[in-house]
Amino acid sequence: MSYQFDWSQVWQHRDLILDGLLVTIALSVAALVPTLIVGMLIGTLGASTSRAGRVAAGLYVETMRNVPLLIHMYVWYMALAFLRLPAFLCAVLGLTLYSSAYVAELVRAGIAAVPRGQARAAAASGLRPWQVQVLVVYPQALRIVAPSLASLASQLVKDSSLASVIAVAELSYQAGAIEGQTFRTFEVYITIAVLYIALVLLISFAIDHVPGLRARRPIARIADA
Amino acid sequence: MPEPVLAAVVPEVIRDNLPFLAAGFAMTLRLAAVGIVGGSLVGLLLGLLRHAEIPVLSRLAALYIEIVRGTPLLVVLFVCYFAIPALAGYRTTAVAAASLGFVLFIAAYLAEDVRSGLRSVPSGLVRAGLATGLTRWQAFRLIVLPQALRRIIPPVFSQYVRLLKFTSVASVIGVRELTGSALLVNAREFQPVAIIATAAVTYLVVCSGLSLVGRLLDARLSIRT
Amino acid sequence: MSGSPLIVLDRVCKQYGTTPVLRDCSLAVARGEIVVVCGPSGSGKSTLIKTVNGLEPYQSGSVRFDGEEVGARGTDLPRLRARIGMVFQSFELYPHMTALRNVMLAQVHALGRSRAEARERALALLARVGLTERAEAYPADLSGGQQQRVAIARALALDPVAMLFDEPTSALDPEMINEVLDVMTALARDGMTMVVVTHEMGFARKVADRVVFMDEGRIVEDRPAAEFFAAPATERAKTFLSKIIAH
Repeated sequence: MSYQFDWSQVWQHRDLILDGLLVTIALSVAALVPTLIVGMLIGTLGASTSRAGRVAAGLYVETMRNVPLLIHMYVWYMALAFLRLPAFLCAVLGLTLYSSAYVAELVRAGIAAVPRGQARAAAASGLRPWQVQVLVVYPQALRIVAPSLASLASQLVKDSSLASVIAVAELSYQAGAIEGQTFRTFEVYITIAVLYIALVLLISFAIDHVPGLRARRPIARIADA
Repeated sequence: MPEPVLAAVVPEVIRDNLPFLAAGFAMTLRLAAVGIVGGSLVGLLLGLLRHAEIPVLSRLAALYIEIVRGTPLLVVLFVCYFAIPALAGYRTTAVAAASLGFVLFIAAYLAEDVRSGLRSVPSGLVRAGLATGLTRWQAFRLIVLPQALRRIIPPVFSQYVRLLKFTSVASVIGVRELTGSALLVNAREFQPVAIIATAAVTYLVVCSGLSLVGRLLDARLSIRT
Repeated sequence: MSGSPLIVLDRVCKQYGTTPVLRDCSLAVARGEIVVVCGPSGSGKSTLIKTVNGLEPYQSGSVRFDGEEVGARGTDLPRLRARIGMVFQSFELYPHMTALRNVMLAQVHALGRSRAEARERALALLARVGLTERAEAYPADLSGGQQQRVAIARALALDPVAMLFDEPTSALDPEMINEVLDVMTALARDGMTMVVVTHEMGFARKVADRVVFMDEGRIVEDRPAAEFFAAPATERAKTFLSKIIAH
């Protein structure tokens, strides 16, 4: 093998890498929050008794998740360029619309997995419909889908790398910039691969070790079986 | 479609560039086909290795799966296009690198589906097979594997659809598939609304079609218990 | 050879970790004999019969089937198992195959019969257990009693010299128990060697030559059926019988 390793160039540009990492984290969090909210709403609609509601939710899910994330981003950044949205916001919008479809589908399945008797029993005990949802159905549904939601969150972090194509200066973008200056191809891309893996591991570590999240896993396993 | 209808539905800019866009679309389908076929074979192999618990090999397979699942597709493509050729000292093309990247990427996800499918087959069935005089290998091949593969049709097809969407990322390393061609046409014509919308609708139709195939196949082959 | 017992267990011991499951179990079953094994749950009866076809390994003692040591290193277990039919508590039919294909599978792959021959034999056996019309049905579309009858046909398809039944009626709804017991009774009348783990004492009384009573991994009683039911020798067997019959 003739390749000469030189990691010093990567180290010299550590500030750029750190900037990129922070933007990746900021972008992920900024997209994750609306993703969960929209996903919960659409998912609840999808599990509702209203036929029109279910059809609308199904259309949203199928449309949003059958278009590539990259195209979602170009829609806001290029097709709707006249709106003059900042690139970061375009990335947040693209990620949210795309990922919320997956969250919605999970939430819908989670609600469907809660035995109907639970909601009936709650209603029979005098709770109002919104109380039945919030106090009885959601907590159980979310426990069932918690592990899958966690892996969707990791997915979103990785997907945020596509924001680099619309010039959001996150980790992958900075990697390209450093590679362009130094030509240390292998070192640069291995470094950012390791950083993404670290972020993903951090998320699964958090799920395993934050009290309250961990207890939910066995329940989910029963639901899987 | 008759000419006037075509004219009414399809924007002029698309009609003018149809052969170019069609070639891009063909490349999208080609990349997806290579990824699906190659990824399924590699994924099956990795999944079997994980399941078999062979001392070193199973660990290596697990490590590979963890690393790839923690890395964004964009980074996997960069590694296949820039880093590996630089390290190993060979020349590659964007199409070859993207094909390799898709196979390596999706195989890691399919391997986990294969493994969970294999684990879902009750061990009592293997015992029953052994009791009738089948060898361990026969019991695996005739009883475990066919059931496992049928059970994982839904998750496998959702990975296929995901891969089909993800072929768009190949445009970032310069492959002229649908997204890449659309961007090139837009650079010349500057009609982003029509061009991005056409790409989005095309992906929507193809991805919905592929997931429909998955659902039909599952309805035909799924095992009722 | 026909004079010597077909199945011989000699001081078989087995433990999971430090928990003993079988302690010094000795048993001989002659050709054509029907032996019922009973006892409280956890007494080791299922484990005991699974040592006969090598599905449960044991730590010491010896298990011989037709003169061949089951646990020996050189034993060709698949070939040996093809000569012993086994029926499980939870049927264990292959859910991705029709009843017919369930009965054909091992004929083709373990015995090397042609598909046509296996099919013909399978259809004949399905007729024998009264399921001719259900040959093309999948297990999910069969009742529990029908599934268990298919499982019996699947075991018989290999022309076994002995049959092992591991609580064949325990997972069945009460109204289906008899359809399975009837098939088993017919099989016994035809002279099949059978070892049956069951709580169906009516079946044992009617069909069994001998009853083996197990408790805590030991064979506590091994006596002719008539004697056993007339007066169990041990207090434990008496208590067990009174509980079973009361319920």
